[in-house]
Amino acid sequence: MNIPFFSRSIRLLAALVCVLTAAAIMTTPAFMTAPRFYDDDPIAREPESQDASKAQGYEIVDLYEMTHNLFVTAGYKPTGVRAQNINTVDEVPDSNWFTNRIGSRAITVDELVRGPNAGPPPDPSRWVVIHQKTSGVHPGITVKDAGGQTWFLQFDPAYFPEGPTSAVAIASKIFWALGYNQVESFVTTFDPRVVEIDPEVRVTRPSGARTPFTRADLKELLEPLARRPDGTYRAVAGRLVPGRVIGNFLFEGTRPDDPNDVVPHEHRRELRALRVFGSWTNLTDLKAANTLDTVVTENGRTVVKHYLQDVGSTFGMNNDLHEWDLGWEYFYKGSPTLKRLFSFGFALSPWQKAHYVEYPSVGKFEGDRFDPRTWKPQTPTTAYMETRGDDEFWAARRVAAFTDELIRAVVHTGEFSDPAAEQYLGDVLIKRRDTIARIYLTAINPIVSPRLEANALTFENAAVVLDIAKAPTAYHAAWMRFDNATGDTEPMAVTDSDTTTIPAPRDLPSSPGEIVAVEVSADSEYPAWSRPVRTYFRRAGDGWTLVGLERLPGDAAPVRRQASR
Amino acid sequence: MPGVAARMRLTEGDQDFMRTARASITHHSRLAASLAVAALLGMSTSKATAQEPEPATREAVIETAQADKLPTLHPYVERKGERLMESLQNYLNGVHTGWHPFLESAYRGGGFAVGAGYQQYVSPYNFIDVRGSYTVSGYKRVEAEFVAPRLFERRARLSVLGGWRDATQVGFYGIGTTGTSVNDRLDYGFRRPYASALLTVKPARNPWMAQGGAEWTKWDERRPDPGRPSVDTKFTPATLAGLGADPTYLHAQGTVGFDWRTSPGYARRGGFYGVTAHEFHDRDSAFGFRQLDYEAIQHVPILREAWVLSLHAKASTTSKKVGEQIPFFMLPALGGGADLRGFNSWRFRDRDSLLLQAEWRIMANRYFDTAVFYDAGKVTSRRADLDLHRLKSDYGFGARFHAPFVNLLRIDVARSNERNLALVINTTAAF
Repeated sequence: MNIPFFSRSIRLLAALVCVLTAAAIMTTPAFMTAPRFYDDDPIAREPESQDASKAQGYEIVDLYEMTHNLFVTAGYKPTGVRAQNINTVDEVPDSNWFTNRIGSRAITVDELVRGPNAGPPPDPSRWVVIHQKTSGVHPGITVKDAGGQTWFLQFDPAYFPEGPTSAVAIASKIFWALGYNQVESFVTTFDPRVVEIDPEVRVTRPSGARTPFTRADLKELLEPLARRPDGTYRAVAGRLVPGRVIGNFLFEGTRPDDPNDVVPHEHRRELRALRVFGSWTNLTDLKAANTLDTVVTENGRTVVKHYLQDVGSTFGMNNDLHEWDLGWEYFYKGSPTLKRLFSFGFALSPWQKAHYVEYPSVGKFEGDRFDPRTWKPQTPTTAYMETRGDDEFWAARRVAAFTDELIRAVVHTGEFSDPAAEQYLGDVLIKRRDTIARIYLTAINPIVSPRLEANALTFENAAVVLDIAKAPTAYHAAWMRFDNATGDTEPMAVTDSDTTTIPAPRDLPSSPGEIVAVEVSADSEYPAWSRPVRTYFRRAGDGWTLVGLERLPGDAAPVRRQASR
Repeated sequence: MPGVAARMRLTEGDQDFMRTARASITHHSRLAASLAVAALLGMSTSKATAQEPEPATREAVIETAQADKLPTLHPYVERKGERLMESLQNYLNGVHTGWHPFLESAYRGGGFAVGAGYQQYVSPYNFIDVRGSYTVSGYKRVEAEFVAPRLFERRARLSVLGGWRDATQVGFYGIGTTGTSVNDRLDYGFRRPYASALLTVKPARNPWMAQGGAEWTKWDERRPDPGRPSVDTKFTPATLAGLGADPTYLHAQGTVGFDWRTSPGYARRGGFYGVTAHEFHDRDSAFGFRQLDYEAIQHVPILREAWVLSLHAKASTTSKKVGEQIPFFMLPALGGGADLRGFNSWRFRDRDSLLLQAEWRIMANRYFDTAVFYDAGKVTSRRADLDLHRLKSDYGFGARFHAPFVNLLRIDVARSNERNLALVINTTAAF
C-alpha cells in the first residue's frame, strides 16, 4: 500500500495537476453539479468490476503493526469523515467484505446456529497432519479428515479447557450473523491414536531449517493442551477457505494490488463497527494477522474476498490466564501508565475493580462494569479510531437485534460441558448487548425506517421500540423540495406530531422523479435527538421511495485533516 | 474543455469517492493524493479528451473509480522499519541467528559492558554462540558456548562453555562484615580461562528441576591496574589465604529445586526453592572446599498483578577440606548490583553469607515496572552467626523494562550508609 518513490520533478508535476484540478473545481458553475441521487440509489451491492487475479500475498510483521498501532495510531486524530462505503440510506451494501444479515432481515435460530457452516462437520475417525501452524498464541495444525477434507484445528490450553474452542465456535457464528465472512467452524475430537503425518510436512526450526514434522513434534504440540481422560483432545476445526490465500488485510488504506478496493479500510463502516461488535464480544485481538484475504473467482470475475479469520480471542479467551487488563487498556497507553507510576499503583485501574465469575471455559468476561465507550482492544486500529456516532448507532442496532433466544442458542453451540458456564456466558452477552443498545441508540437521533405514504411520514424510534428510552414528547418534520441536480433545497413546511407518524404538507410534489427532503427531530430527555435526521424521498409512480438518509447531516469533515497524521 | 467540464459535475457520492481515493493514498503521500484526485476528476490527458460519458448510475461511479485505480496497481511495499521489527520479533521469540548484543561483564564490579556475539546453529536446535564484552573498567570476556536445549525429549539442556576473562581491578575490603571499611579498599586482578559443562534437567512436566555440571577453571591472580593499592600491599599469603595463589579447580555442582515461576528471566508470580551443592577440588589440594547455597524466591501478586511483592533469601555456607584453605577471592561475597545494591561490589566477604531482599514492584504497564526495594545481608565466619542481627542494609527504587518472559533492562538507584546513591544498570532481573 505504499506508493513507490517518485522523483522530485514528478512530484512537482503532480502538485501542478492537483492545483489545476482544484482551480477547475472552484470555477465550475453550480449548474454543472451532477445529481445527488442516481437512479439506482440506494445500491444494495458494492460492485467489483475489475479483475483482481494479480493480487499478491502480504503479511505485515506482527511487532511492527503492534508498535505502529500503539505509538502512532493511538495518537491518530480522527478525520470525522462519514463512512465511505455506505449507500445513500446510510446502510452498508453487500460486498466481498460484508453481507447484510441480522438487523437487515430476520435471522432464525436454526440459521444462526448453522452460521457460516455450509458443509458437513469433519470426520474425526482419521486425521492426517499436512501443515503446522507457525504463528499465533494457541497451537494449531492443518489436517485432512477421514473424508479428505482440509481443516485447521485449534485446541484448548490446559488452563482454559473448552475455552478457545467454544469461543471460536460461538464467535464465528455471531460475526457471521453480523455480516462478516467467516470460516466454517465445528467443535470436534482429535484422537492422537488415529493421527498420521504426511511425510511432506515440514516445520521451521529455530535454525531456520525446515525439517520433517515428527511424532515428537506432535507430542510437544499436544503437551500443554487440555487433555481428556480418554486421551483425546477437544478441537475446533475450521474448514479450508476457498480460493488463493493472499495474506491479511490492514485496518487502514487500501490493498494496492486490488483494483476494486477503493475505499480506505478505516472508512469502511463494517470495519469501524468492530469497535462496537468487538466491545460486545470482547474481541481484543484486532489486528491484521487475524484477518484473511483470498482471491476467488465468482460469477466469472476474479476478486478478493475478505475474512475476519480468527475471532477466537473473544469473551474471556485472551492470550493468557493472568492478563486482567485486556479489554480495558491498550497494551500501552501513557495516561494510565503515568497514573499508576505516580500513585505507586494505589490509583486503581477499572480492571482491578471489576468482579469476575470465572469459568475456565469462559475466562474473564463480565457485564456489570462493561462500558463500550471505554472498551479497548489490545492495540487500536485506524478504523477503530475513525468510528463515528452513526457507525456506532448502525452497529448497535445489529447487536440489539440479537434476541435473548438467539444469544442462548448461539452460546449453546459452544458445547460446554458445564451448563453453568453456558448460562453465565449467555447472561453476560445479554447484559453487554443491553448496555450497548442503551448507550449508542440514545446517543444520537434514533429515527429509523422512515416511510412516506398516505400523506404522512411514518418511522420508528429504535430506542423507544427496544424500551430503553421514553417516547419523545414531540417529533418535528421540516419539509423541503430538493433539487437533485443542484442540491438546492426550498423550504415547504414544518409539521409536528406526538407520535411516530407526522402529517405531510398538502403541496407535496407529484411529478415522477421529484425529491423531497425531510428533517426529523424530536423533543426528548436526550438533547442529541433534537439534531435532525435528514431523509430524502423520490416520487415514483403513486408513491415515495426512500433514497437518502443522513443520521449526522453536515458531519463530514474534510479528508485533508487526515494529511496531518 | 467539455470533457473536463463534464467530469466536474460531481455528485456528493462522487465527492465521497474522490475524498476516499485521496484519503486512501494521502495516508502515504501527498503526491499520491494529487494523482488520485487527478485520476478521479479525469484530469489525465486521455480522460480529458476522450469524451467519456458521465456515469449515469452509482454503480458506474464506483466502477469508474475502480477502473481508474488499475494503472496504479502494485504489490504491497514493505514499510520502513518493518524488517527491523521482524528481526527484533525473532530475537524476542528466541529465534535469532547471527550477530547480537552481549552486555554481560566479565566479573561483577566491572561496570557497564558493551559487546557482541555471533550465534550459529549447528543443527535445528543446537547452536554455538561466540561472544565477547569489554567494560568501562577494562574487564574483558571472550567465550564460546555450545547449547543443546532439547536433550532427552526436551527434558534437559546442555551447555558447554569455554572462555577467558580478565578482571583488572576487583575490590577487596577485608574479611567480615563489621570489621571492614569501605575506605580500606584494595584491588586485585586475575585472568581466568575456564571450561564447563552444565546439564539442567526437568525430569517431568512439573516444577521439580535438577541441575548438575562441572567446570574446569584456572585462576591466574595478577596485580591490579594502577589506581588503588594492591591487596599485597597490606596482606601476605600468611594473612590472607589464597593471595598470590593460582589454583586450578575442578568444580562440580548440583541443584535440586522446585521452580514454578513463569520464567526465571521475568516473573510476577510463582517461586523457586532450591539447594545447590558445590565441590571445588583444587588440583594441588591446597584450596579445595565445599559450598552450599540455599535459595528461596517468592513472587506474590497483589491487586491482579498490578503489584508484585517479590521476596528473596539466599544463604551460602562453605566448609574447608582438611588441610586446605578457601582463597579470599572464592569466599561468598555480598555487595553490588545483584544483592546489596547500595554497596560496592564485593564489599563483604567471609565464609558464610546471608542475603534477604524484598521488592515491591508496581506495574506501570505491560512492559514497564517500577520497584521499591530493600536489601539486607551479612557475611560471617561461623555458620551459627547467620542470623538477623547486625545486617547491612540498603534501599532504593528502580525501573524494569521487560518482555513477557525476560528482563531487558533494569535500572536501580540504591542508598546505604556507605553510598549516597549507587546506580545499577543491568540486563537481568535482580532475582
